[in-house]
Amino acid sequence: MNFAWRIYRLLAQAFPHEFKLAYGTEVMQVAEDSIKDIAKRHGALGLIRLIADIAIRLPLEYLSEMRGDMRYAMRALVKSPGFALVGIISMGLSIGLTTNVYSSKWAMLFRDLPAAANAKKLVMAEKPVSYYYVEQFREQKNLFAGVAAFQIGVPFNVTFQGAGNAKPQRIFGQLVSPDYFSVLGVQPQLGRVLGTELDKAGGAPVVVITDRFWRNHLNSSPDALGQILRLNGQIATIVGITPKEFNGAFSINPAELFVPTTAPATLAPELANDVLHQRNAKEFLALMCLAPGVTIDSAETALDAITRRLDDQDPSLPPRTDKGRRVTLLPAGTRVPLPRQLRPVLLGFFLLLTGLVMTLACTNLANMLIARGANRRKELAIRLAIGAGRFRLIRQMMAEGILLSLLGGAAGLAIAYVLMVLNSQFRPPTGVPFETDLGLDWGAALFAFSLALLCGVGFSLAPALQATKADLTPALKEGLALRLPGYRRFGLRNLVMVAQVAASLMLLLLTGFLVIGIGKESSVQTKFDAHAMVLLSIDPVRDGFSPEKAQALFEKLPALLKSAAASRSIAFAAQPPFSAMDDYEARQLTAEDAEQSPRVQLSAIEETVGPGYFAMLSEPMLAGREFLDRDQRIEAAGSGTPARPTVLPVILNETAAHGFFGNGNALGKRLRDDQQSYEVVGVVHDLQNGMGIRRAISYLPLTPRDFVRTPADGITIMMRSDAGPLAGTDALESIRNEIALIDPNLNLFHVQTLSEFLDRSRASTRFAVQTYGGIGVFGLILAAIGLAGITAYSVVQRRKEIAIRTALGASRAQVLRLVLREGAALVLSGTVLGFFGAIAMARILSALTDIFVRAFSVGTGDLRLLVGAPLLLAAVTMLACYLPARRSVKIDPLKALREE
Amino acid sequence: MTEIDPKSFIPLKTNWFQIMLSLAGGEQHGYGIMQEVLNRTTGKVRLWPATLYGSIKRLIEAELIEASDERPAPELDDARRRYYRLTALGKGVLDAECERLQELVRTIRVKQAQSLVTE
Repeated sequence: MNFAWRIYRLLAQAFPHEFKLAYGTEVMQVAEDSIKDIAKRHGALGLIRLIADIAIRLPLEYLSEMRGDMRYAMRALVKSPGFALVGIISMGLSIGLTTNVYSSKWAMLFRDLPAAANAKKLVMAEKPVSYYYVEQFREQKNLFAGVAAFQIGVPFNVTFQGAGNAKPQRIFGQLVSPDYFSVLGVQPQLGRVLGTELDKAGGAPVVVITDRFWRNHLNSSPDALGQILRLNGQIATIVGITPKEFNGAFSINPAELFVPTTAPATLAPELANDVLHQRNAKEFLALMCLAPGVTIDSAETALDAITRRLDDQDPSLPPRTDKGRRVTLLPAGTRVPLPRQLRPVLLGFFLLLTGLVMTLACTNLANMLIARGANRRKELAIRLAIGAGRFRLIRQMMAEGILLSLLGGAAGLAIAYVLMVLNSQFRPPTGVPFETDLGLDWGAALFAFSLALLCGVGFSLAPALQATKADLTPALKEGLALRLPGYRRFGLRNLVMVAQVAASLMLLLLTGFLVIGIGKESSVQTKFDAHAMVLLSIDPVRDGFSPEKAQALFEKLPALLKSAAASRSIAFAAQPPFSAMDDYEARQLTAEDAEQSPRVQLSAIEETVGPGYFAMLSEPMLAGREFLDRDQRIEAAGSGTPARPTVLPVILNETAAHGFFGNGNALGKRLRDDQQSYEVVGVVHDLQNGMGIRRAISYLPLTPRDFVRTPADGITIMMRSDAGPLAGTDALESIRNEIALIDPNLNLFHVQTLSEFLDRSRASTRFAVQTYGGIGVFGLILAAIGLAGITAYSVVQRRKEIAIRTALGASRAQVLRLVLREGAALVLSGTVLGFFGAIAMARILSALTDIFVRAFSVGTGDLRLLVGAPLLLAAVTMLACYLPARRSVKIDPLKALREE
Repeated sequence: MTEIDPKSFIPLKTNWFQIMLSLAGGEQHGYGIMQEVLNRTTGKVRLWPATLYGSIKRLIEAELIEASDERPAPELDDARRRYYRLTALGKGVLDAECERLQELVRTIRVKQAQSLVTE
């Protein structure tokens, strides 16, 4: 009984303060008086009941207190809807934005590949290698648990069973070695994945499909296994379905199909010319799973040595003396394999961006709560004086902050969801699809939410503590004007305000740099009416044409198309003109002239174009000639013919020519890469000066090899009419009919005018510009709201002072100036800090990685931005100050002075 | 202040009804309420202390009962205890609840009589 009583007493102590104060002693007394009776009547069970009763009551009392606090807070918020709305919107926007940025970027760059058990141990060689090398790497059992070869962005023309004469759909997949799935550690959802035992060359063609393909194209039919698809006109059986969310390695370009490298070349033209046995056909990405205990560094070193040995053994390669690493390994367990050094930089950048946004929102909330806390000093002092518990008051004030951040958090999740839906609807105009549907990252949402909550608690706790510990007498006597907060005062609130202005300017400038950088990239000027050119893509080998037939088609196609309309010119290219170019597609070229040493090495972006390409674009040659029909018949090295020293003609743009050969004549000079030699036959203008930086471009001729192994976008036919714009769908339709007449089995895709194509390319940059611009503007609005709030507060606080000044004869302008001076000082110091902060951040980021260099080097040199952004911020924030400041001149001195 | 409708509290929670019924006879302290309920129900209903005061707190918040400042005769007074009594609203609510229960009993009686007749 004694023991039960002790427990009971302990529990009774734990009641909430209020309850304990009112009923604590009585609860103890009653229990004390009746405990003997209970023990007598009910025995031990009764004592247990007694303790259970109080144990259940405890949390209920706490809940009821909390409900009371929340109700009180709710009423307080409803009473000041402006305050509540601003708080909720700013928290909501920032949480929504942060969650969204993290959901998309985080999932892309840092989260493990879904369903891949070996994700942590996966590495990938940065540059493609030949299948022969992959086989050699596979022998290194002490380094790797497995090595697979794969190609990404491989298009397949897919015809479904029972679809009749329906047009095939162009669906992207991967061409993978049979051990691909075991290297990744991916298990099938249904059926089986590919395997070295089951999938051997010469076997019946099979295909593994993703969950997405199964859902979108087969309605998740349970009969999908064993179903037959026509891929590029050839039959293949579906043997397995990969787990949900799995879209292949490198799944920023999601794959829907996986075709083994053991498939016949008729099914996958990528395999033509016996590419698996070509020592020099560097067509495959090597995906490796590190053996236990092997680090990525040691694997890289070992692999580099192996590559050097293999290179040296190859008689067809010229001796190389370069010192640098020939192999770079990237961690491949994420959707975007990134160099290791880049990861922390990108992480830092996104942390900075979202951190700035969250800082802004939190400081805003803090500002508002601090102002509110100070505003209620008198009320609190009265309540303390008449005996309210300090803890109780603090809890009540905190309830408001918590409620505000909870509501903000809920709004944030809603906004994040809306942003995600908008994001997933956006389709960039790339040939190979680009993953945009990544879902919400609940971790990020939770993080942002907790941060908001923490901020709500923290910044309502601080003023609550301050307000409740205050010496009551002055607070009661002086009420609001506890101390005159002169603009010189360096209080917490002002500090927060300066931080806010600085952070929002940093945000505005950093996003502005990006916006200007990205904007410049997309400015393409054509020398002719872009409506007058039609682009269309064909891919005959994937329509089931044999290589010979495909080549014959390309031979006769220009003449046939020209014969339909005399005023028409035709050219081919392996990519649309003015397409967005990545350094990713760049190739290292070395000038071969012996005179210069060391030899000039440059990385130049490679474009493959047919005869008459530059004439089509109204680009005169600066020197030399265009590609001719005969260039189109040259057999390039590594395309199946015995290695003979072929020299491909190459056309350089101005930047490339200047880079290799200075101001001298480039014509007739030789270049080489690690596969073959090139002879410069022409020089053209820089067609696209993206971001104000000139990039070296080398134009290679289309060769039979390109016709047989078409690139992801197919072969682009450019058709320009001199008769004027080919407006409307009629013109496009008549071209479709013409092609159908030439060969009804030929499928056309990406049919569009050049101006449509350019519009769509701009859409992606516009999207980026809008995103970053939106973040910047959001910061600006937040800062304005915060400043307006603080000015309004300071006006209220200084009522008495202003009243006295007015009574003593201060003019309206003088009063206004007085109030604005404080805001101006805050804005000025914030602007200066933010300006240098942004410049410093841009410097640091560009120093860390060349990704930002271009954007920032253009942006930081842009005077409009450097002057405009601070001015804009100052103007908006001063306006935000002015609006509430006007209230100061409306203060009636008689009223204000009588009030106290 | 607007008049609160006693009907809005009907039906009463069992604990509330028991407490209010105990107070119908006059002021009482917590222990007294507990004992009265225990005796009235011949030990079947026991209001455990924490539950009792939880209910008292809510009854006071709902303005159905109040703490009394009048003390009983000194020889009966227990100085440590606080006494509670029904408010006017509380009386109204208790009356309404009793009315409801009586109505219920009447209905039950009629039903029983009917079933006797039909048997």
